[in-house]
Amino acid sequence: MTPAPGRQPFARLRVEHQGPVGWLIFDRPEAANAMDATMFDELERAWSMLAADPSVRVIVNTGEGRAFQTGVDVVQMARDKDALREHSRRTRDAQLRFTAWHCGVWKPVIAAVNGTCAGGGLHFVADADIVIASSDATFVDPHVSLGQVAAYEGIALARKSPMESVLRMALVGRHERIDANRAYQLGIISQVVDPPERLRDEAQALAEKVAKNSPAAMAATKRALWGALETGLTEACRIGAGHLVSMWGHPDQDEGPRAFADKRDARWAPMEGSRPDG
Amino acid sequence: MGDYEHLLVERHGPVGWLINNRPDALNAMNAQMRDEFADAWIELDRDPEVRVIVHTGEGRAFQTGVDVAEIASDGVGMQRYRESVEEFDLHFTSWHQQVWKPVITAVNGICCGGGFHWVADADIVIAASDAQFFDPHVSIGQVVSIEAIGLIRKMPAEAVMRMAFVGRHERMNAARAYELGMISQVVDPPERLRDEAQALAEKIAKNSPAAMAATKRALWGALETGLTEACRIGAGHLVSMWGHPDQEEGPRAFAEKRDAKWAPLEGRSGPG
Repeated sequence: MTPAPGRQPFARLRVEHQGPVGWLIFDRPEAANAMDATMFDELERAWSMLAADPSVRVIVNTGEGRAFQTGVDVVQMARDKDALREHSRRTRDAQLRFTAWHCGVWKPVIAAVNGTCAGGGLHFVADADIVIASSDATFVDPHVSLGQVAAYEGIALARKSPMESVLRMALVGRHERIDANRAYQLGIISQVVDPPERLRDEAQALAEKVAKNSPAAMAATKRALWGALETGLTEACRIGAGHLVSMWGHPDQDEGPRAFADKRDARWAPMEGSRPDG
Repeated sequence: MGDYEHLLVERHGPVGWLINNRPDALNAMNAQMRDEFADAWIELDRDPEVRVIVHTGEGRAFQTGVDVAEIASDGVGMQRYRESVEEFDLHFTSWHQQVWKPVITAVNGICCGGGFHWVADADIVIAASDAQFFDPHVSIGQVVSIEAIGLIRKMPAEAVMRMAFVGRHERMNAARAYELGMISQVVDPPERLRDEAQALAEKIAKNSPAAMAATKRALWGALETGLTEACRIGAGHLVSMWGHPDQEEGPRAFAEKRDAKWAPLEGRSGPG
């Protein structure tokens, strides 16, 4: 992999490119990748950078070390009063900016869970389009065991997978974990990678398949399907129809069938600097 | 309160038990039992010793819904039931009664028809390995509605539709219910169901009662609205715990490797 060009390296993340795939890697393994103030800032910047980079078709999000992500680093945040105040304000006002969904990234995002995913780490599972995990990954939500409320992560997860399992995880807290196989059965994830060391290779292979598809069509598809979580069924179809029609007349709609008939890879129109929500 | 004809209410440590106790009628819900449910949920909710509630049944059925025999023979009961449904003024599940303590349904044996109300409205559902699920409403000319509306938001919809339309001609077993995420645990042998439910409830009872009540509000509230709005409302529930003593006690107990001493919930977990 190669570091992203033209940027200072991040202190808590690594952003890398491998072919059409942009990698966003939590890189604070000594703290189980918990998010401190610096990581919060860097996540917002990294999602924005990957979303705007026309060479990135698909984004993979994973972690370095034995944890994927374990949520807010409460101890570190408590030491930085300004950062804590800002994070508290964003939490209270529902203005969080650290996942792809928060940042309005309309490129496909794959979360590749490489170990423990705890508490606030579930944000990145809930807010990804596709989730795969290594066979030794575990999922646990200890919020209520520490006197804290589980809200955002469970709200989104419960729309995407059977709710009973989400409620059980939220209420049992740290006293029980879901393993990768159960997460697969429940449809929280779509692939278990074994041995675990193959996770990044499999994520790259999956991302390269996704990258073969029309970027513009995938962006409109993503808007239609995530938008459907906002409203009732009939209204979601009405709004979805708008996203569908938005592609009519787009060059990819000619190029796709032609490439298929010619038995070659399609040459899709690049997404012009797909600014988040732009 | 506390004296019921068709229910048993028990307490085992921090766990309150609500047991359907009309086994000769497969625990079908007659008018008397319906009224008793309304009282029993509130009794357990008000009891500060009760941190978690387990709901199960006596005999070979968990619940088989409204007592059709009574409805057919008792004109007054039917009229009263009809009015409560028309007004959507129901009081027989924990969700109807706005119980914000964690509720575990432990399905022993048959769960059919209206029995799904307590599967749909519980937070956590476990079942004995010989449990069976089916919905015979349409096989006797009745509509499947409220139970399935709740279930369809919580699990794959196809399975709910299939049960609704195949009616009494097919049953789902516990293993399939587990695969679908309708339940999270199959207990085998079936005789161990209550022990496993108690053990699960005791784990949950170790967590902050106030944080669990706010979590439950956030997640159930999310079924009412769109994702972004649900997150906005959920943020309010999240913030409601800021400054609560449990938020200091939790990390301290964890650091000291001891069980936390949580502040008790006062009065109802729900509204006032």
